[in-house]
Amino acid sequence: MFKSQRMSKLLIAASKDQLEPVVRELYRHNVYHIEDFVEQEMESIEGFRIGKPIEGASGISSDLLRIRSLSNIIGLKKGESGTGAVQKTKALSASIDKELPEIEKEITALAEQKNGLENKLREAGMKVAELEPFAKLQMDLSLLRGYDGFTVFAGHIPADVELPVNSEKYFTSEVHGNLLVAVVPAEKTSEVDKFLMEEGFSTIVVPSEDGTAEENISRYDHEITRLHEEIGKIEEQISAQKEKHAQFLVACEELLTADVERAEAPLRFATSDETFVTEGWLPSKKVEGLISDLDKVCGGKVYATELEVDYEHDTIPVEYDNPDFAKPTEALMDIYSRPKYSEFDPTLLVAIVFPIFFGFILGDIGYGLILLVVSFGLRKFVKDNVVGNQLLNVLRNASIMSILFGIAYSEFLGFACPWDPLWISRHFNIGAGHGGHGPDAILLLIISAWIGILHITLGRSLHVRNAIVEIHPGKHRNKVVFAQLGWIFVMWGILFLLWSMFAMPLMPDLSGFAPLVAGINIFGIIGALLIAVGIIGIGRESGLELMELPTIISHVLSYARLAAVGLSSVAIAAVTNYISIGMMIEPAMADFGLLSIVLIIVGIIVFLIGHILNTVLGLIGGGLHSIRLHYVEFFTKFYKGGGKKYEPFGIIRKFTED
Amino acid sequence: MAVETMTVEVVEAAAATAGGFKAIGAGLAVGLAGMGTGLAQLGIGGAAVGATAENKEMFGLALLFTVIPETVVIFGLVVALLLLFT
Repeated sequence: MFKSQRMSKLLIAASKDQLEPVVRELYRHNVYHIEDFVEQEMESIEGFRIGKPIEGASGISSDLLRIRSLSNIIGLKKGESGTGAVQKTKALSASIDKELPEIEKEITALAEQKNGLENKLREAGMKVAELEPFAKLQMDLSLLRGYDGFTVFAGHIPADVELPVNSEKYFTSEVHGNLLVAVVPAEKTSEVDKFLMEEGFSTIVVPSEDGTAEENISRYDHEITRLHEEIGKIEEQISAQKEKHAQFLVACEELLTADVERAEAPLRFATSDETFVTEGWLPSKKVEGLISDLDKVCGGKVYATELEVDYEHDTIPVEYDNPDFAKPTEALMDIYSRPKYSEFDPTLLVAIVFPIFFGFILGDIGYGLILLVVSFGLRKFVKDNVVGNQLLNVLRNASIMSILFGIAYSEFLGFACPWDPLWISRHFNIGAGHGGHGPDAILLLIISAWIGILHITLGRSLHVRNAIVEIHPGKHRNKVVFAQLGWIFVMWGILFLLWSMFAMPLMPDLSGFAPLVAGINIFGIIGALLIAVGIIGIGRESGLELMELPTIISHVLSYARLAAVGLSSVAIAAVTNYISIGMMIEPAMADFGLLSIVLIIVGIIVFLIGHILNTVLGLIGGGLHSIRLHYVEFFTKFYKGGGKKYEPFGIIRKFTED
Repeated sequence: MAVETMTVEVVEAAAATAGGFKAIGAGLAVGLAGMGTGLAQLGIGGAAVGATAENKEMFGLALLFTVIPETVVIFGLVVALLLLFT
C-alpha cells in the first residue's frame, strides 16, 4: 500500500548442464524478472558472452509458426478460449508430432480449395465487368472480330456522333458510359481514330466470347452463384474443423509458446564455455521458495543468492502492491506512467478519489445504472484482456458512486426523485409550473474549490514526503522541501487574504475583525506573510518557478469543472426531458388525436436520443475530467513515474498442465 | 397614478433587459471560451493522433496533452454559471 512490492535481486550461476532444469523451474514459478545480459555493459563478468538458445529451439519455433498459421486459416482468434478439459503437457507434446501433420493436411487442403474457388470467382466477376457494356448489343460478339478489310471500334463515348466516313454504327446510352460500336473500312482507320479521340472516345476490349453478351452474362452469373455456394460449403467444413481442433490448437500454441520462450531464455543470460550466470528480480517474499526449489531440481548443483540492491544504478522493476479494490485503478496509473520503485504509489488515493469525482460530476441514479449495466455488458467483448477488464472494473466502481451521489442529489435521468436533495440541489426546474429556484451553482463551485485546495495541498505534501525519503539530507533537500511548503503557504495565504476581505458561503468568515493596517485585519496580515514566506521558499529553489505562481489560482479553479461539467450534464438531461415530455408527450396526451400518436413517437425518439447522447457525454465528462484532474493537477505536484514494469519470466497457463 | 404605473413598467423592462444581457454574456463566455479551446486543441489533437499512430504507448500522454486547454472552456462555463445564478 502506497509502496510498490519489495524486490530482491537474485544471482543464479550453474554449470551449463543445469541450464535446462533451471530455466524450466524459473518458468514454472513465473516470478523471476530476467535482467538482460548486455555484453559491453557488464564489465564485472568479463569473458562472458550472450548464451545460445537451447537445442531444438528452431524446430519448436517452426512448429509454433505452423500452428499459428493454421489458427489463422480457421479464424481462431487469440484469447478465444476452448471449453474443454485442461490437457497434460506430456501427452500433448507426444501427440503434436503425430496429429499436427494430419490436421495441417486437412486444413491446408480446404484452404487451397477455397483459394482456387475464390480465384475463379474473381475471374468470373472480371468477365462480367468486361461484358456489361455490351449487354444491350443484341449481336453475336464473335461478329465483332476477325476482319481483314474492316476495323471494329468499340468503346465509351460521352454522346452519339456521326462518323465522317462510310460505316456501320451502333450506339446505345442505356449502359453506363454509353457504348459505341462502329465498323469502318480498314484504310479509314487512322482518320476515324483521330476523329473519335477528339470526341472523347475511350476504347474497350471486345470480350473474346461467342454468342450475345446477355447470354454470356447470365452464364457467368450462374457460375458465380454456384461458386458462392461451393465456397459456403468449404467454409462450413473449415468451421467444422475449427470446432474439432480448436481445443488442440490453443493448447498446442500455449505449450509451444512456453517451449520457445524457455528455449530462448539463454539469449538473456551470460555464458562462458561451461557455465552460465543470470541476474534478475523477484518479490522479496518469494526468494526463499525459488532458491530452495532450484536447489531441489538441480540436486544442489546451482549457486543462487540474493545480491545487495544498488539503488543508485539499478533499474528495479515495479510491481504494484494494492488492496484488491484498488487493483483496477492500476490500469489508470499505467496509462500515465508506472511509479518508480522508491516513489510514493498514489494508486490507492486515485482508487478512492476518482470514483468520488466521477459521482460528484455524474450524480444520477439513471445514468449510474446504465453505466453499471454497460460495465458488465462489455465484459463479453474484452474477454481475457487484463487492461480492458481493469478499466471496466473502474467504470463499475465509478457508476456505483454515481448512483450514490444520484440518491443524494435526488436525480433520475434529470428528473427529481420523490425525496428532497440532501444539502445540494442541482435541479434546473425548467419550464412553467415549477417556480422553484435553479441549482445551487455557487455552493457547488465553492465545494469544488475546496476539493481542489485540499487535493493540491495533499499533492504538495506528498512531494515533501518524497523529498524527505528520496533525497539525502542536506542543502538541496531543504530547498526542495521549503519550496513545496512555499507553494502550500502561498495558496493558503491567498485564501486567508480573501477570507479577511469577503464573506463567502462554506468558507470561514474572517472579514468581521477590526482592520489593523491599511484596512487589512490580522488574518489578512497573516495571509500576506504566508504569501511572502512562500514566495521566498519557491524562489530559493528556482527563480524561474516564480513564473508559475498564477497556476496556484488556475489549478484550483480548474477543479470548478467538477461543478460545471456536472451542471451541464444535468442541464442537458433536463432540457431533453422538457422538450420530449413537457413540449410533446404531455400536450399530446391532454388532447388526444391522430396527430398525438406522431407527437408521442417523436417525443420518445427525442427522449431516447437525448439521453443516449447525455450518457456518452457523461461518461466522457465524468471519466475524462476526473482522471485529468488527477493527471494534470494532482500528479504534477509530486509524481514522476517512469518505473519499469515487472515482467516475470513465465506464463499463466490456461489450457495445459504438467 | 399614471406616473407610478409607468415607473413599475420601466423597472420591470429594465430588469428584463438586464436578464437578457446576462444571458447573452453567459452565452458569449461559453461560446468564445469554447472556440479558444477548440483552436488550442486543433494543433495538439492533430499532433497527439499522429504520435499515437506512431507509438500506441503515447495514448495516455497524448490524451493528457489534448485535454489541457479544456480548462479554458471550464472557466467560461464557471463565468456563465456565476452570471446566471447569482
